[in-house]
Amino acid sequence: MEVIGLSNLVLLVCAALVVVGTLSSLLAARFGAPLLLIFLLIGVLAGEDGPGGIHFSDYGATYVVGSAALAVILFDGGLRMRATSMRGALGPAFLLSTAGVFMTAGLVAGAAMVLLGLSFLEGLLVGAIVASTDAAAVLFLVRAQGLRLGRRVGAVIEIESATNDPAAVFLTIILVELLMAGATHAGWDILAGAGQELVLGIVFGVAGGFLLTFMINRVDLPPGLHPVFVVASAIVIFAFTSVLHGSGFLAVYLAGLVVGNRPVRALAAITSFHDTVTWLCQIVMFVMLGLLVSPHSLVDSILPGLGVAAFLILLGRPATVFLCLWPFGFSLREKLFVSWAGLRGAVSIFLATIPMLAGLPGAHTYFNIAFIVVVTSLLLHGWTLALAARRLDVALADPLREPQRFEIDLPGQSEHELVAYPVAAGTVGIRADLLPDWARMVLVVREGKVLGPEEAGLLLARDYVYLLTPPQRVHQLDRLFMLEELVWGQDAAFPFAGEIRLGDIGELYGLPIPPRDQDFTVAAAFADRTDDRPAPGMRIVFGHAAIEVRQVENGRVTLAALRLEREDAGRGTQFIQGFLRLARKGRNQSDTF
Amino acid sequence: MPLADLLAPDAVFPSLRASSKKQALQELAQHAAVLINRDAREIFETLLQRERLGSTGVGSGIAIPHGKLPKLDKLFGAFARLEKPIDFEALDGEPVDLVFLLLAPEAAGADHLKALARVARMLRDPDIAEKLRASRDARSIHTLLTAASASDAA
Repeated sequence: MEVIGLSNLVLLVCAALVVVGTLSSLLAARFGAPLLLIFLLIGVLAGEDGPGGIHFSDYGATYVVGSAALAVILFDGGLRMRATSMRGALGPAFLLSTAGVFMTAGLVAGAAMVLLGLSFLEGLLVGAIVASTDAAAVLFLVRAQGLRLGRRVGAVIEIESATNDPAAVFLTIILVELLMAGATHAGWDILAGAGQELVLGIVFGVAGGFLLTFMINRVDLPPGLHPVFVVASAIVIFAFTSVLHGSGFLAVYLAGLVVGNRPVRALAAITSFHDTVTWLCQIVMFVMLGLLVSPHSLVDSILPGLGVAAFLILLGRPATVFLCLWPFGFSLREKLFVSWAGLRGAVSIFLATIPMLAGLPGAHTYFNIAFIVVVTSLLLHGWTLALAARRLDVALADPLREPQRFEIDLPGQSEHELVAYPVAAGTVGIRADLLPDWARMVLVVREGKVLGPEEAGLLLARDYVYLLTPPQRVHQLDRLFMLEELVWGQDAAFPFAGEIRLGDIGELYGLPIPPRDQDFTVAAAFADRTDDRPAPGMRIVFGHAAIEVRQVENGRVTLAALRLEREDAGRGTQFIQGFLRLARKGRNQSDTF
Repeated sequence: MPLADLLAPDAVFPSLRASSKKQALQELAQHAAVLINRDAREIFETLLQRERLGSTGVGSGIAIPHGKLPKLDKLFGAFARLEKPIDFEALDGEPVDLVFLLLAPEAAGADHLKALARVARMLRDPDIAEKLRASRDARSIHTLLTAASASDAA
């Protein structure tokens, strides 16, 4: 009977932690605190040094659960990545996720040798553990904060974070093996082994993705089982590839990418199920990692840990990014943002369990250093990423809240699905004939009455609109229905046709237009940055002015407006603007113009 | 820089007559030419060149024609209330009756933008626009424009 009692207790504790984790999202929404960090803190509080007092030190279980959770999160990341957005970003991302990882690890090794008094290989192990940016954290933060990054920058950090784990995992495993064998310097087999991980990861990932797509479309499962089938298959692809010494992380991301970019039956059900599962995985993984850490043993590592974190964030990462992106013509601001967007997350803590599992001497130090680096990064980057995107002008528009979207599967085919959006006040004027040509308005529900698109005319607030659209493009509709402060009739805005050259506008107003944009027309600049999918409200900032999309026809910007910064505006968020206004109150107006 | 620094009392024209956008710009260019002692044709060409990129009608019956004039020593503004609203190819299609002309030196840069933003924001204030439309007195319009911008910044 005792076994049953214990099982129930375990169940109670685990479920309660997930419940608390879920509820903590309210807290995060209110204070803007990085949600992932809160999950981690809940784990710490429930753990041995917190009020929870739970002793948990099963690194093996953590490794298994963590792998599964990471696999699901990476698959979800691939599922949502549009292949077309990757144009021009693959090269830079690939360089960052291979050479970049080795370079970061090497640089951090130097810092760790000095700060922790380690040998070169031990220092390199610290570097390898914290070298990869965390896809879960990057994808999650970018989406949770509604950041709409320029296509190339967004794709680079996203692809980098999803594809750099293999290099880091491999480097970590090899280094642990070398250190266990008593070797003192790295051999040639590191590179060869990393190559094998990479190739197998790519092959099994792509093949697995196509096979999975084929299965979903061919096998008639009872409705509701499709998403379960997909999640389980994703973990199979991950585990299978890993068993054969390929990079499971890379494979599962690529498989997601393939599935998400092919016509797939029941994609709506699959993605909405994935939303849920991804959340669950984040909560489980971070709470568990929080449980695993022993805060009292962290004390000794705090200073060196912060030192490593500071070095990584301020020197290691920027140096790597600037060097790797140097051949690709990124602007200084873009490089700065990519440097800042080097979030560390669960992967690093997870990699730090490998020396533990191997029983490497000093493994606790690696684990504690990784933990401190991750917490620092989550705190610092998590809180400032959106601000950095705005300050560095790499965001296409203000962060927006995700619109509420309802998706309805249409049985019998996989090319289209039905989506419904509630129309919010202040949504850009939308009419059936102003929609992108791949989306068809089917009906509008207004005050309880069902209207055809012709009858409905311009959409009004509180309408519900139903649209027929290819599943892969649903997210582009989101932009149309996002709540946004409308600028019509508010600030200064001068209209420009889409065919005007940016260089001409820049010359007239003395705007800092980058050389490669000089000869672009307004329409071409937006086409380039949005992957041919501009939407009203998007803007590109040039110095003290922004060009904002007003009208789009057939995927081209036909009308844009030059918006001028308010003369009292700082370049920060609304919070900063409000703060500046407050600070200026009472001051003489003569210097505020 | 308060608006009083760029808008002189004698640069306010409370009842300008014009039947077209082109004519309005011509009239304003002529008045401006006298005040800053320059060729009216040069000013008109500058404004016209800017209008070719896109209308400077910003909506709600307001237009802010502007441009850069070489060898101007500082920002120059002029305001006109049109007797009859005219079509200005504005964003919202509304006819325009409040016109603020802004000429900037070649190297004005950020000041040019700030002045434009300030003028636009002030004119788009419905209260101010209403008062401007109700008045025919150059001095009271000047006071309104310069005072409004001063209180605005506090």
